[in-house]
Amino acid sequence: MAYALVALGFVLALNASGAVNFAHGDLVVLGGAVAVLLAAWLGLPGFLLLPLVALALAGAGVLAAHVAILPLARRPPEASFVATIALAAMIEQTLTVTMGAAPRTAPPFLGSGAVTIAGVPLGLQPLAIVIVGAILVVALWFLLERTQVGRRMRAVAADRHMARAVGIPVRRYVTLSLALSGALAGIAGFLLGHQFLVTPTQGAGHMLKAYIAVALGGWGSVPGALIGALAIGLFETFVSAGIGDAWASAALYVAVLLVLTLRPRGLFGEPVGQRA
Amino acid sequence: MAERLATLVGIYALLGLGYQIVFGQLRALNLAQGALFGVGAYATALTAPYLGPLALLVAPFVAAAAAALAAPPMLRLQSHYFALATLAFASLINLVAVNAEDLTGGANGLVGFGMSLPRGTILAVAVWLVVAAAVIAYSWVFAGAMGEKARLLRDAPLVAASVGIDAALWRFLAFVAGGACAGLAGGFSAALTGVVSPEVTGFPVMLLCLTAVVVGGTRHPLGAVLGAAVAVLLPELFRGLQGSWLLAYAAATLAVVLWAPEGLAGLFMRRRALPIPLAATPVSGGRRLALDHVSKRFGGVEALSDVSLTVDRGEIVGLIGPNGSGKTTLLNAIGGLEPADFGTITIDSMHLERLPAHAIARHGIGRTFQTPIEGETRGAGLARALATGAAFLLLDEPAAGMTDRERELLAGQLRGLRRDRGILLVDHDVELLTRVCDRLVCLDGGKVIATGSPLQVRADPRVRASFLGVPA
Repeated sequence: MAYALVALGFVLALNASGAVNFAHGDLVVLGGAVAVLLAAWLGLPGFLLLPLVALALAGAGVLAAHVAILPLARRPPEASFVATIALAAMIEQTLTVTMGAAPRTAPPFLGSGAVTIAGVPLGLQPLAIVIVGAILVVALWFLLERTQVGRRMRAVAADRHMARAVGIPVRRYVTLSLALSGALAGIAGFLLGHQFLVTPTQGAGHMLKAYIAVALGGWGSVPGALIGALAIGLFETFVSAGIGDAWASAALYVAVLLVLTLRPRGLFGEPVGQRA
Repeated sequence: MAERLATLVGIYALLGLGYQIVFGQLRALNLAQGALFGVGAYATALTAPYLGPLALLVAPFVAAAAAALAAPPMLRLQSHYFALATLAFASLINLVAVNAEDLTGGANGLVGFGMSLPRGTILAVAVWLVVAAAVIAYSWVFAGAMGEKARLLRDAPLVAASVGIDAALWRFLAFVAGGACAGLAGGFSAALTGVVSPEVTGFPVMLLCLTAVVVGGTRHPLGAVLGAAVAVLLPELFRGLQGSWLLAYAAATLAVVLWAPEGLAGLFMRRRALPIPLAATPVSGGRRLALDHVSKRFGGVEALSDVSLTVDRGEIVGLIGPNGSGKTTLLNAIGGLEPADFGTITIDSMHLERLPAHAIARHGIGRTFQTPIEGETRGAGLARALATGAAFLLLDEPAAGMTDRERELLAGQLRGLRRDRGILLVDHDVELLTRVCDRLVCLDGGKVIATGSPLQVRADPRVRASFLGVPA
């Protein structure tokens, strides 16, 4: 479910800017790191930290939009690829320098215990991830499909020239999308950070999984990204239980290459048209 | 120490040069170049005990073979899928390097093969001879017609296909050739360090290669060499910064992407860029095109109603308005294709409104049309209009269907043409018009509803109501 948040943020940024945000994985890590720091300073419980982390990372998203995406809107997409790769390296290095390479643990959302529901013991943190994730997914769906703001965001994603021609302030909506994307990344980083620890170098891994989820689910498709992320989560859980972590990852990459070979536009096609 | 650094610069220059072929020339974001470097390093390390120095020659072939094997499914993919596929391919290579312990020595890597490989000065000389040869070959290949074809593939793939350039073959050859360069560079690096561990296949190598090429210049023959020099020497200079040199380096890369898209080589060599030879034809004729109270009716529909405007030599006037507002009709009336019913059209004191179309063309009015002629590239219409030596150009949606980059090029060309011509430009891209036009005229229902500077016209409430579709 946390993968789903990572992938959803990624697809939002992608749609808004028309270019892959390679720094997205590092925004996830940054979210975890901010949670670690805030917890140390303020000592607040996890569910109160969540909005703070989301806010901080929304700011980071806005910054990313202004530094690496908006100035390059009129250049080929590869320019912002490279710019966001550089941004990713900057975030990673800043974190390495400030917090060291050692893994840290983010605070739990509710607590680290377990509850027993209908005779099945469930960890509080995985439960929190699933519930928060589900709430955010529904909220995002509502925003995109049922509000004027969401309609405009989708218009910008579908055709920025047309959107501009009908008077939508494209830059503002790109910035807004990036802010939302950053907030989702931050929340995901915070939620993942308790179970899987926070290390500065994890960013590329998060990015790759989001990228795969989005590519498999259909480039630019929000529900596709969700399904892709859940599929990757299930795939990893079951395959790595069978053959071990390393070969599970290898199998995932091979599967990606196979899917791309057989269905060059993702499993479910590409709903927003070509972005050469 | 200096020798070691020089060798290292040469190795990264070779890696980057191979990357320029794929990324710079064809603009394909290949994220497997670093992994192919690692493949070359492993190939040399594994064969050195048996082949001695010849093991260096194995590296490019093994890397090229790996690239050729992986290429066919990947090269059909669009830009972002291609990047993902190459990233997955690279991650696979990295996983094999870490986990296939019998072959690669696992996380510990391979050592002890260095004895059979050239070292020190011999290695440095060998590396730089290869780099020099590669730079010369690269600039020779991409200097003439091949460079033009690569440019067409990069900027206008559809046009490239329509003139018979096989994009798939180009990408395949570039990917394999780039892989061979990476492999050889990897082999050299194995010889230099005497150790090969999974790190040589990792993403940081790819990052270094990408940033070096971007910083140096993605296409210039010396771009990779400059970038490699910066990438290797900068950390030496900033030794005191410890880990944060990478931070400074990433920031520098970002700055280059934002402000110097042609890289360092581009900064030094900018003066050598060729001017676009479009404005070469000398232009003579009148100074001012003027329309006075022009009207045109189709049956009961008033297509143009009392339109007055002027276009002077040396200015670009943009014509905007919703579909059906009379923009194309106005161009047709000036050009004589649909003569006006009332009003006068003059160049200086010469009346055009009763002349046939070919005569108007001879008086210095060039025209392009919305629909290009089949088999022509997009610039052909403009070139044809210019070839007549026209002092005034009527351009009907020249930017339709163009990418943002092509729009930028067009804007530059139009600014160049303006020097001694007057241009009346119809387009839907208000941003483009705002940037290139001196004045805008807005039509609605065949009437001029606003005229003035682009910002004035765009801010006009009537224009916003009619064109942007928002209530005033």
